Amino acid sequence: MSQSISNAALGLSQSPALASGFQFPSIHNFPPFYTLQPTASTWSNQAELWGTIIMRYYKHHRLYQLDLDDTATNEQLFNNQRINRKLKPETIQAIVDEMAKKGDAEWDTTSRKRRAIIYWRKPEDWASLISSWVFESGLNNSILTFYEIAHGDNSEDQEFYNIHTTVLQKALDILVKRGVATTFQGASFEDMGVKFFSAGA
Amino acid sequence: MGASSSSRGNKITAHDKAILDLKVQRDKLKQYNKRLDLVIAKELSLAKGHLAKGDKKRALLALRRKKFQEGLLEKTQLQMTNLDELTFSIEHALVEKQVFEGLSAGNQVLKELHKEMSLADVEKLMDETAESIAYQNEIDEMLSTRLSVAEEEDIERELDEMVETALPNVPVILPQVDRIVQEEVQPAKEASLKKISNKNTRTLNEPMLA
Repeated sequence: MSQSISNAALGLSQSPALASGFQFPSIHNFPPFYTLQPTASTWSNQAELWGTIIMRYYKHHRLYQLDLDDTATNEQLFNNQRINRKLKPETIQAIVDEMAKKGDAEWDTTSRKRRAIIYWRKPEDWASLISSWVFESGLNNSILTFYEIAHGDNSEDQEFYNIHTTVLQKALDILVKRGVATTFQGASFEDMGVKFFSAGA
Repeated sequence: MGASSSSRGNKITAHDKAILDLKVQRDKLKQYNKRLDLVIAKELSLAKGHLAKGDKKRALLALRRKKFQEGLLEKTQLQMTNLDELTFSIEHALVEKQVFEGLSAGNQVLKELHKEMSLADVEKLMDETAESIAYQNEIDEMLSTRLSVAEEEDIERELDEMVETALPNVPVILPQVDRIVQEEVQPAKEASLKKISNKNTRTLNEPMLA
């Protein structure tokens, strides 16, 4: 089993492409890949491969949150109708648990393991992207709303355009810790703003 | 100015909050605009659908709603422009304030520097400098004509050394000294000897020399 997984992993890009242009690796068509493997080493291999596929899928589609109740995405990602196999929700949870150990994912603590953020880019990297964008656009020392960063006209061509609020919050927290910005609250709780210092980047 | 402005920049001022509130308002209008855009598109497709089915009355109603919403959209866009302009004005005023602060800080430093060197002080300093130069010149002159104490000592030491290297002459001088001393010490004896004979004095003294 272990042997066949790594063999299949070698041909990581041979499978019909989706309409979105995303291509599953050939292992996506391998029936045992959909069953939680009892052998520890095989399982860790399997979980890692699934983690890689999830991250690539999420990066390709610019998705941030994995939601066990979001059937549209899960049907495409975890349900292979060609071989009539699908991942059980418990298996998906186990995979996300493994990803969380490596910092590739993080459960929404209020969701009882129904929703998780997938970090196909580490929060530190998001933080660096945002701070260099701020520096390059000369936005140091001015006030930005969270909404403006994620959905504003200025950030439309940026990697982090439409970034998930949780990821944005996390990245900005890192920048606050680095001492290059400070976040503060406006008139109401959801109206968060951030001020980048002139030292910047 | 750098240090003071960065420590000030790390704090959130009332201005910052005001700007945030303005920007939040603009964001909300933007979201509202997006919603209106969708609604307008939906009314348009509804109107088309009704018209295709021959329901002119409903199509007209949908178009009327669309017109109304377009009016709202125009208004909110105008409001957004106003908000943006206000925000930009505030931001610009803040920049101007910073420029002013920078200029006044620079001015302050210049003033302090000037205070530290009043004209009288500079004049006094220049006088003192001139005095020092004159004094230095005097010393230079003295040095070129006279030798220092140390040099005098050096010279004396050199002389002493030269005297010491000339020592071989000393034994020749010493016997004479010795004789003089003897002559002084033994005047009585000599006197008695002289009594015997003036010629014998030399013969008596000669053995003593040997």
